[in-house]
Amino acid sequence: MSKRYVMVHDENRCIGCQACSVACRSENGVPEGVTRLQVRVEGPFGDAPHLHFKYNRVSCQQCENAPCVTVCPTGAAYVGDDGLVSIKEDKCVGCMYCVAACPYKVRFINPETKAADKCNFCKDTRLARGELPACVTVCPTDALTFGDANDPSSEVAKLINTKATYQEKTHLGTKPRVYRIPTKRGGIQS
Amino acid sequence: MIELDRRTFIKGAGAGGASCALATLLPGSLAALEQKPLQGMGKEVASICEMCSTRCPISARVVDGKNVFIQGNSAAKSFGGKVCARGGAGHSLLYDPQRIVKPLRRVGERGEGKWEEISWQEAYKTIAHKLNDIKQQHGPEAVAFSSKSGSLSGHLFHLGKAFGSPNTFTHASTCPGGYVIAAKAMFGTKVKRDLSNSKYIINFGHNLYEGINMSETRGLMKAQMSKGAKLVVFEPRFSIVADKADEWFAIRPGTDVTVALALCHVLIYDNLYDQAFIERHVEGFDAFAKEVKAYTPEWAEGISDVPAKDIRRIAHEFAAKAPHAVVDFGHRATFTPEEFEMRRALFAANVLIGNIERKGGLYLGKKAKTYNKFAGDKVAPGLGKPGVEGMPKPAAKRIDQVDEQYAMMWSSGGIYQTILDATLKAQPYQLRAWVMSRTNPMQTMTDRALVVETLKKLEFVVSCDVYISETAAYADIILPESTYLERDEEIADKSGKSPAYYVRQRVVETIGDTKPSWQIFKELGHEMGLGQYFPWENMESLQLLQLDRDMARFNEIKQKGYVSYGKPLMLREPAMVAAFIKQYPNAKPTDEDGTYASAMSFKTPSGKIELSSDKVEKMAAGRGVIKYREVKLKQDNELYFIQGKVAVHTNGATHNVPMLANLMSDNGVWIHPITAGRLGISSGDRIRLTSSVGSEEGTALVTPGIRQDTVFAYMGFGSKNKELARATGKGVHCGNLLPNKTAAVCGMNIHTTGITLAKI
Repeated sequence: MSKRYVMVHDENRCIGCQACSVACRSENGVPEGVTRLQVRVEGPFGDAPHLHFKYNRVSCQQCENAPCVTVCPTGAAYVGDDGLVSIKEDKCVGCMYCVAACPYKVRFINPETKAADKCNFCKDTRLARGELPACVTVCPTDALTFGDANDPSSEVAKLINTKATYQEKTHLGTKPRVYRIPTKRGGIQS
Repeated sequence: MIELDRRTFIKGAGAGGASCALATLLPGSLAALEQKPLQGMGKEVASICEMCSTRCPISARVVDGKNVFIQGNSAAKSFGGKVCARGGAGHSLLYDPQRIVKPLRRVGERGEGKWEEISWQEAYKTIAHKLNDIKQQHGPEAVAFSSKSGSLSGHLFHLGKAFGSPNTFTHASTCPGGYVIAAKAMFGTKVKRDLSNSKYIINFGHNLYEGINMSETRGLMKAQMSKGAKLVVFEPRFSIVADKADEWFAIRPGTDVTVALALCHVLIYDNLYDQAFIERHVEGFDAFAKEVKAYTPEWAEGISDVPAKDIRRIAHEFAAKAPHAVVDFGHRATFTPEEFEMRRALFAANVLIGNIERKGGLYLGKKAKTYNKFAGDKVAPGLGKPGVEGMPKPAAKRIDQVDEQYAMMWSSGGIYQTILDATLKAQPYQLRAWVMSRTNPMQTMTDRALVVETLKKLEFVVSCDVYISETAAYADIILPESTYLERDEEIADKSGKSPAYYVRQRVVETIGDTKPSWQIFKELGHEMGLGQYFPWENMESLQLLQLDRDMARFNEIKQKGYVSYGKPLMLREPAMVAAFIKQYPNAKPTDEDGTYASAMSFKTPSGKIELSSDKVEKMAAGRGVIKYREVKLKQDNELYFIQGKVAVHTNGATHNVPMLANLMSDNGVWIHPITAGRLGISSGDRIRLTSSVGSEEGTALVTPGIRQDTVFAYMGFGSKNKELARATGKGVHCGNLLPNKTAAVCGMNIHTTGITLAKI
């Protein structure tokens, strides 16, 4: 694997506006009722006037050690040469093991294809055309950065190396590749 | 807050599906047609968004004939090639089965919801006959014409003027009019904010992170994240902009003016203001300073609940960053009858630190004419206008032209809500018909019952829209307009610090039997016997006329979608002026200090910035000098009811768009835990809000992000007509709770009142 695609979500810049979520839906033809990507604005936390929201990006974390791949009985869930956790639709039998196994609860059965589905960083659509993922392209406040962390000159590599970041549920050993820059006003100080 | 956990999301989507099935019964809707693949006009089409009023430059492409992917046009730098959720969901409006694609005639009682499809010719004939009949019997002034301002609104107003009516209205008095009129009084023209270069930003609830205006939202974020600007927010609610602020003060609703005046007091009496700037460019400082003497931070604290020591400190911090600091003058939020004074006080704080035409401050737009004058060269082309011979001069006065104090508003959109009085009370005379385009006063005006009564009383109502909006539901004839993705429009001026133009172009071929409103009003004009006033053949002939038939320019602008000229220019910013004169050898010579300060002029009677104004004094006695007046926005036993914008919806326009309705279809009412506890209310409870004019049922959202004496709801929800199937009956309808009141001088429709709250 030569590439290590990662996404960095700067929660200081995120305003929870859902532009990413809508763009994802349009680009990838995500049917109504299911979703590959949301930003949940949670809170406010704290005591007034020292309140703060949390801007929680909910999408596939592209785990390097992905439980959904481990449990898949048919090999439909696999890790591609690009390192991305992907799905072979024709191999998927809709058993939902992967949906149950995902600790981030971001997998679903696509009501149109009847196969498991989730964010794949726009692998088949925008990445295939040499463009950035839809959410990154439209983000009004430049809260998202995407790229190959194996390339030390990439923006993502620079961000990961210079900013305090965290990942969700790292204690499970999944090694997620969505990095988050915590808001200054949240519980974690950067 | 936008609640987006997976369970409610799926629930919402399910409900949307069910109402879609019902809506197929609606005559004239897209659902009645067979859905064909979308036909794109090109691979990537540069155009202009219309999901809100910002009108961002976009780039759109058709995907598999089923969908359109919309992103920002990266040629427009300050917009950064970005698009918000509403803009990204444009295709969801385009392809919505509930969209109206056939002209409709009302067959039942007005507002009953019974419609029949008719042909365009029949629609035009009926309207022409009825309007000409009213004109003959009562004069053309008995017909009012109103439209959301911008883009094609000019075509409706052109028809109104050709018809001979002076009564043309935009949505100004229900949205942006307050700051526009205050700016007009002080600067003689609109002013802009240079947020991205600001080092200190004071914000009075201008929620740029939810009411997204792409270039300003990005500017604010850039200032905060890249330039280390400090953001101070005064707002009764913990909004997203409050969350992103360095300091948030939960100010009492409607008291912003006191804090703004106290800031001015400290700037003047702690000698922090820019004396040289005031002497050179400002009129009426002494009268203002005298008035402001009483407005100490301690005084402001007593009214606004903002601590005096903080106001004093913030004024000092603000002045320390002068002139690269700004008090944001806000947008739509007419919370008090003293809106005009509030906006002027916000502008005054800027004037005092001399941030006009400085980086990070306020500036005047540089259109081609002004810019070329400074450059001494034709850097940017102007835009031509079609002249029409012999347009009739209206004989009657406008219906809002009764009270001289509103004189500035007459030419800036008018006072929209005077249509109600003119219809119901014949004040100053009887209105009999109302023709409107893309406007939804049933949502955006106050006292919904009064708007219903007005629409019921009128002899004839015409609405041109993409949906049967809450207002269109009361029309006699509905004219289905093509969505913005199916329309060509005139080239529009988007000048900022330098001239810029952009153009709306069709992205896809028209679906169904709709027309762009420029064509609708031209064809209607012909049917009404006013054809001579519409000498242009089509939109392309208008565009070419604008560009003086310069084909190269025409093709460039169509291909790029957005073209800007020259270097950014702020007249008092030495570095920018230096770069400008380096670029243009024939540029106007600078002052000794290397700026264009002496060339700065204002379209006020004195030619200077008028901190106090004789003109205003003559219009409204006692209002020449900015002054505090006590207002009572609620009774003692009531709570303040305030509203605001959310990032996924626009005013009264987008709540039925499928993708956006799925994201958010209800507006939970924000209540402080202590207030909720006192009333026995928990989050999720059904509650009733009752005001002096109406009563609404909603859902409680208990949160510490609101003052104890205030409740908040996002605006635009709770539609009451069955036609907007996804939006109807969901959430609190703000307009049904707000009484019909008008603010002094600026004519704004006031959007705060008192309510009582009870658990159902």
